Amino acid sequence: MNGVAFEPGFSRQLGDLAPYLIVAGGGLAAMLADAFRHGDRSGGLFGLSLVTLLGAAFAYLRPSGSGSDTLLGGMLANDPYTGFFGLLFLGIALLTLVFGAGPFGRAGVRGDFYPVLLFATLGMMVLAAANDFLSLYLGLETMSLATYVLVGGRKGSAHSSEAGFKYLLLGGFASAFLLFGIALTFGFAGSTSLDVVRAALAAPNHEAWLLAAGGGLILIGFGFKIAMVPFHMWTPDVYDGAPSHVTGFMATGIKAAAFASLLRVTLVLLPAFSSFWFPLLAVLAVVTMTLGNLVALAQTNLKRLLAYSSIAHAGYLLLGVLALLVPHTRQGHAAAEAAGGGVLFYLVGYAVMNLAAFGIVSFLGNPAPDRESDADDLRGYAGLARRQPLAAAALAIALFSLAGIPPTVGFMGKFYVFDAVVRSGLVPLAIWGVVNSLVSVYYYLRVVVTMYMAPADETAYDGRSWSSALAVSVLAALVVVLGILPGGVHRVAEAAFRAILG
Amino acid sequence: MSLVNDHLLSWITFLPLIGVALILVLGRRDPAARGVALVVTLADFALSLVPFLRFDATYGGDQFVERVPWLFDGKVSYHLGMDGISLVLMLLTTFLGPIVVLSTWNAIRERVVEFMVFLLVLQTAMIGTFFVRDMLLFYVFWEAMLIPMYFIIGIWGGERRVYATIKFFLFTMFGSVFMLVGILYCYFRAGSMDLAAFLSLNLTRTEQLWLFAAFALAFAIKVPVFPFHTWLPDAHVEAPTAGSVVLASVLLKMGTYGLLRFAMPLFPEAVEVFAPWMAALAVIGIIYGALVAMVQPDVKKLVAYSSVSHLGFVVLGLFSLTTQGVAGALFVMLAHGLSTGALFLLVGIIYERRHTREIAAFGGLAHGMPLYASAFMFVTLASIGLPGLCGFVGEFLVLFGSFQSELLPSARLFTILATTGVVLGAIYMLWMYQRVFLGRVTNEKNRGLPDLSLREGLVLLPIAIMIVWLGVRPGLVLDRVEASIERVMGPVTERYVERTAPEASASGPEFAFEEGQE
Repeated sequence: MNGVAFEPGFSRQLGDLAPYLIVAGGGLAAMLADAFRHGDRSGGLFGLSLVTLLGAAFAYLRPSGSGSDTLLGGMLANDPYTGFFGLLFLGIALLTLVFGAGPFGRAGVRGDFYPVLLFATLGMMVLAAANDFLSLYLGLETMSLATYVLVGGRKGSAHSSEAGFKYLLLGGFASAFLLFGIALTFGFAGSTSLDVVRAALAAPNHEAWLLAAGGGLILIGFGFKIAMVPFHMWTPDVYDGAPSHVTGFMATGIKAAAFASLLRVTLVLLPAFSSFWFPLLAVLAVVTMTLGNLVALAQTNLKRLLAYSSIAHAGYLLLGVLALLVPHTRQGHAAAEAAGGGVLFYLVGYAVMNLAAFGIVSFLGNPAPDRESDADDLRGYAGLARRQPLAAAALAIALFSLAGIPPTVGFMGKFYVFDAVVRSGLVPLAIWGVVNSLVSVYYYLRVVVTMYMAPADETAYDGRSWSSALAVSVLAALVVVLGILPGGVHRVAEAAFRAILG
Repeated sequence: MSLVNDHLLSWITFLPLIGVALILVLGRRDPAARGVALVVTLADFALSLVPFLRFDATYGGDQFVERVPWLFDGKVSYHLGMDGISLVLMLLTTFLGPIVVLSTWNAIRERVVEFMVFLLVLQTAMIGTFFVRDMLLFYVFWEAMLIPMYFIIGIWGGERRVYATIKFFLFTMFGSVFMLVGILYCYFRAGSMDLAAFLSLNLTRTEQLWLFAAFALAFAIKVPVFPFHTWLPDAHVEAPTAGSVVLASVLLKMGTYGLLRFAMPLFPEAVEVFAPWMAALAVIGIIYGALVAMVQPDVKKLVAYSSVSHLGFVVLGLFSLTTQGVAGALFVMLAHGLSTGALFLLVGIIYERRHTREIAAFGGLAHGMPLYASAFMFVTLASIGLPGLCGFVGEFLVLFGSFQSELLPSARLFTILATTGVVLGAIYMLWMYQRVFLGRVTNEKNRGLPDLSLREGLVLLPIAIMIVWLGVRPGLVLDRVEASIERVMGPVTERYVERTAPEASASGPEFAFEEGQE
């Protein structure tokens, strides 16, 4: 392979690489600035991170300069799909920044939060764009390593450090599975490039078992990241131990990034997946939904509850992936587009509603730096509707949306995904999905009951941060607006997915 | 004016939401919230009279139609329309709106702003449900009704409010999610979410049976049809008065409306199979509801079970599959909305004074509260179907229709059994009245209770007027719904006509069969 820098037209690719360069540069600058800063205030770092994220978003939005489908010699894809997810990650990172740091870089936030957050975002962007197993692995590890640090980021908290360490160990396992899978795939195709693998699959007399095994191991690697049963064990502990804004970042960003890459890889490995892996994935999806929802019923800790709910949502999303496996092979383009577009829309909706929920948890836990734990005990939410009507309303809207009750984005997401599931003939799976969302209503409602219908006791949480309140209000409004007018985002999602459908 | 004229149904639907915005803008002040809620619901009622006056009763299809593409390039659309059925049920809703707001003047003292907001949101969701002609939009409105009601019961309810409200939510949701899959399946087959597209679907018998089951389950739980009624007494008893009134008067009608509008015309072949079963459940509900009501020690619970009984008549009327039966069912829906709404208001009035609803705690109330006792008597008579009041017309038409029904097997048996429900209804209501109002005052606490106040009288008077008016002039409703009923029930009755048509059509296939043999 040629050295990347010598590739003709590299200078023209620079424009398309701008989002990655900006985030990477911003991250490096933030790291240096942190090393040399005085005192406890981190307002400058906050500003720098903010400008970096906005700059990268702007760079995504300008039209492609190179006109090429791939960048860096085929390592990264350069398509609307990449841009779609890139903007999603930047939005998630921006909100995490607001929730984590408050208006002007409140005292008590560690300076390394900013560069690490930027590096994690960079990893997600690379992962979603990866068109080669090497860049895929690179993106995944950049994202994961940075997240290990973020999870352990609560000063002096053993709980937080334990979570970070647990995530590191299990994440290491997942990476090993993924690497082995990549190795097998390489053994089959003789290259790590997704394009080459696709071409190799199109040719006859291939040794499909290598790819089936490789694909399976890759699936396990992703399974860890999206919290698919039986690779979900880390989720509740890590979600609970991590600072709440980081949990929100993980639940939305990492899940979306892993699904983005999973969809891209799935479409390539489809022939090996569809016959052998389809039933297995179907069983896993069903078990993921069911287990997540059933265990969530028993939780008294809001962050653990949301962790199990995020497992369940991974199950719903997997239904969309399953639908994709069926129509792609049996029916053709439009149905596959509907399924993929549905999954993408769901990921956006999931990000909006979950960030709203974790935003509330985070800002209720924030104002008391001396408090060991976050605002995670459900009892602390008793009577929240009286003390903080806005926060309670926003959390209630987010929870109704997670439960999939119209008119919220959560309902529309389920509608798009289940519609695709029914269209691809998987009616029993759709029925199981709606029964599951019925079960989930119970535990989401319990939180609402606590906030609105239970009297407050002394341990009640309280917190004020105008920037978080503003962000959460916007998110809650977005939950409803996207629930009523989802068409625009859905069209963009479908168009983005069309780009990788080929 | 055309801005209002062209979007009349949208205005009626969303006017309460404008009230919500107004309340939130005015800040968190209780009197302002009450005032805005009252003015907005009154304005909405006034506005809803416009389509009533302009309604063309000879046309059974949708009028005042609004249609704007919503999703998937118009495969899902914002499609509103109004036929006679929607008209009368919408009028019931808007008519009760200001009454319900006015009834909360004393009862709701805490978190008034939130209460009014939820009440107005509920109003929008209910009115919208009667108008929508697009299945996804229908599902959105249908489910959106749950949330405000959930809060109304859960925050302002009685002691076991949390249990009651979660039960209410989960029961209703349980049916709805299967309906959602059914809707998705039909959408997949029809390629459009429009009701008209669903109606023109050609479904196989098996498909129809499953889909009807999915839809009917959702609606049967909402009605509620025996044995899905267990959420109802809990929700009714725990809900605040205003919540009970809305629940009984309008929300329960959603179930029967859904059966009539969607489940029956969409799956006519399945209706034929399920009709005797639904009718049987309806009759069981009529008798069971009445018997259980009879032994209730609590007035509110008694009224709640009486709803199970009354709604049984509605379901029987619908599945008699005759125009009279269905018209009667619709009339019972209105009459029940008025009389049971009034009963809950009256129960609320005495509860505010005595803080109990135990029948045993009362006795001889008529001595101290003559006005209240007369009002209660009047509504009781309306509820048990005294001729001249609204309750009579509906039940009579239902029984008349089901007795004549040729489509429903053993229709006469069902009718005879259902008739006992009328008798039982008179027994439990009058017995309750006797124990509460007549005789001597046995409990000292019942002495010196204030009689109806002016506000309470104003709340009850419009309902009383309507009870008499509908009883004397049932044509007011029946004339407007007849064409619509015939149109909606068309798919069901057509099948019957085809089957019983002269032998010419029956011999056709036979002849072809012989030809095939040769």
